[in-house]
Amino acid sequence: MSSSQTVILGEMPALSKLYVNAAATAARRRVLGTHGGTELPPYTHEVRGVRADVTNLTAYQHLIGETASDVLPAGFIHALAFPLAMSVMNRDDFPLPLLGMIHLSNTVVQSAPVLFTEALDIRARVDNLRGHRAGTQLDVVAEVRAAGQAEVRWRGVSTYLAKGVFLPGIDKPSVPVAPPPFSAPDPTAIWQLGVDTGRAYAAVSGDFNPIHLSVLTAKAMGLRRSLAHGMYLASRALADVGAVKGDSFSWEVAFEAPVFLPARVALDISTVQAGGGAWKRSDYVAWNPLSGRRHFSGSVAALS
Amino acid sequence: MSVNGQSVPGPQEPTAATQLRKAVVVGGNRIPFARTGGAYTKSSNQDMLTAALDGLIARFGLQDERIGEVAAGAVLKHSRDFNLTREAVLGSALSAETPAYDLQQACATGLETVLGLANKIKLGQIESAIAGGVDSASDAPIAVSEGLREVLLDLNRAKTVSRKLQVLSRLRPKDLAPDAPNTGEPRTGLSMGEHQALTTAQWKITREAQDELAFNSHKNLAAAYDAGFFDDLLTPYRGLSRDSNLRADTSLEKLATLKPVFGKNLGAEATMTAGNSTPLTDGASTVLLASEEWADAHDLPKLAAVVDGEAAAVDFVHGKDGLLMAPAFAVPRLLARHNLTLEDFDFFEIHEAFAGTVLSTLAAWEDEEFGRTRLGLDGAFGSIDRSKLNVNGSSLAAGHPFAATGGRIVASLAKMLHGKGQADGRPARGLVSICAAGGQGVVAILEAL
Repeated sequence: MSSSQTVILGEMPALSKLYVNAAATAARRRVLGTHGGTELPPYTHEVRGVRADVTNLTAYQHLIGETASDVLPAGFIHALAFPLAMSVMNRDDFPLPLLGMIHLSNTVVQSAPVLFTEALDIRARVDNLRGHRAGTQLDVVAEVRAAGQAEVRWRGVSTYLAKGVFLPGIDKPSVPVAPPPFSAPDPTAIWQLGVDTGRAYAAVSGDFNPIHLSVLTAKAMGLRRSLAHGMYLASRALADVGAVKGDSFSWEVAFEAPVFLPARVALDISTVQAGGGAWKRSDYVAWNPLSGRRHFSGSVAALS
Repeated sequence: MSVNGQSVPGPQEPTAATQLRKAVVVGGNRIPFARTGGAYTKSSNQDMLTAALDGLIARFGLQDERIGEVAAGAVLKHSRDFNLTREAVLGSALSAETPAYDLQQACATGLETVLGLANKIKLGQIESAIAGGVDSASDAPIAVSEGLREVLLDLNRAKTVSRKLQVLSRLRPKDLAPDAPNTGEPRTGLSMGEHQALTTAQWKITREAQDELAFNSHKNLAAAYDAGFFDDLLTPYRGLSRDSNLRADTSLEKLATLKPVFGKNLGAEATMTAGNSTPLTDGASTVLLASEEWADAHDLPKLAAVVDGEAAAVDFVHGKDGLLMAPAFAVPRLLARHNLTLEDFDFFEIHEAFAGTVLSTLAAWEDEEFGRTRLGLDGAFGSIDRSKLNVNGSSLAAGHPFAATGGRIVASLAKMLHGKGQADGRPARGLVSICAAGGQGVVAILEAL
């Protein structure tokens, strides 16, 4: 989207307002119908000079099992940029219903460390609207730079699915070849996730999506129980990979069966070494140890 | 010859030591020390130790390196941190195959990790080591009361509901009050400050002398920062790049206005204030030690050799000696073993738990009576050239995160010694002295390389 126009916001939008606005938009569209757009808004939202709150950073690091260092964890930066990403999807000219969208996958490239002391310029835009066998999907692209600098330190691509929404002119892809059935390896760790896991992550990430907060709020959204936040799970896996990843790496996760709380989650992390024994990649997969259903999988890899 | 009532070998050639190889200080790294409730309030011991460790790893290129052994400790320690040092290693960029152990000897913890690991290097058991220490007075463990603890344990053992209810019925409101750590001595109930106030009065240390020592500590530390002395000894953390207790603009006049906080009920004049006593502090420090071969193979500097160390303890419980006076005995014993006097040193690093501690120790060494009756010498042990004392500041200015102080001092002293090189035709020599709770003290000699 080279033709994208940049809209500079004075400050990071408040997620709570965005959620309320999204609910209002959803109601309005139910009454008045969708606005009929089939294109993504060609706008990049930007906030300049964003600073992380150090108390919040420490709480985040402790929650997901990172040491409280001065380097922002890659998942923390995702949370920092998330309201801006939401604000793009919350625009009136955004063609899909924001509430109820499903986070399918996430890819992050952390090219260089970001310290909490640095002021940051954060940009977000939407891209790559395309069909999915179950609806319509798109990418939200966020970029983080040190204030006033050109070099992108962190780039995240989050792929979301609007389930059951089919826009005219966007073809459903043919049904993909079914992947081989998942066969659970021996776990390297077991996580015990309490029912408050969703609330605890909401408190440090600022993402108070009702599906994560409590059984009641989740039921109001049509779920039987509350869910662990996908980025909480992926960030814990990233923390478990450990210091071997260094300060620059790529990080991918694909989400499958949601984790209903409370839960036990089995995890396997396997390391792939390059020639000479240097760390090349750590692959991770998490599953329900009772049902054997896969919750998510991904990898953390050295940048080539 | 007898020192402290125990007969020790007289001046001699250190026999065993000459056959051992050297253990050298390669360098150190710490995070700035923060006053409690400040910048590190939410950081745990493990966070701070890992931060100091990662700075050391970055400075000396130790990523993925399997270090011979890492030893560190904390004085205020959560029971969940039983493997604090190993967990910090696992969270650091060192090879996960680096072994580690925790050590605890109150405020001497940091120096004792240096001595223990240096000994292993001298014996050829390991080639490299990282010594360290950390403490958080902000994130201190709080235990449940003894009453609640007993109820909880019995509750866990109770099999039936009626038995469980019976156990629970023993709970009283007072049992719910938490048990916070304090600096009181278990056997006397006196805080460390009150103990030192007794010693300070006993040695007739004046308020003015204590304030002057505190003033010098701030002045020297501020000058050291301004001169860039800490540039390769320190990694910023949580927004701090200098010790937050440092008051570069303090003056003797300002210090003189402070009200006494310890020893107010002694009868004698109270002289110890918040200015000439060390505040509670959070922080961590690390020191990289190695054999000369390892340092050479890794193309790393060799700042100073860890020559020897000595621990001592005093019978403070009924007041025979002051709580923090053990170094007054440890130093004469250590120097006797090496046939050295106080005049053979170029730097003295005497930990400033309180200004009164340093001055009482120096007074004891200058006292004829103490020298004869307590040290078994012909007269006074000796006096030091004050211009060689804590020349880059010490705990009164930097703060004192208990277990982290040893690493701070050893790394700084090793750098000073290396900078000085030779003195009087011999390698520059430094003395470290650290007092500790429980009436203990650990001291050490370092020599320039």
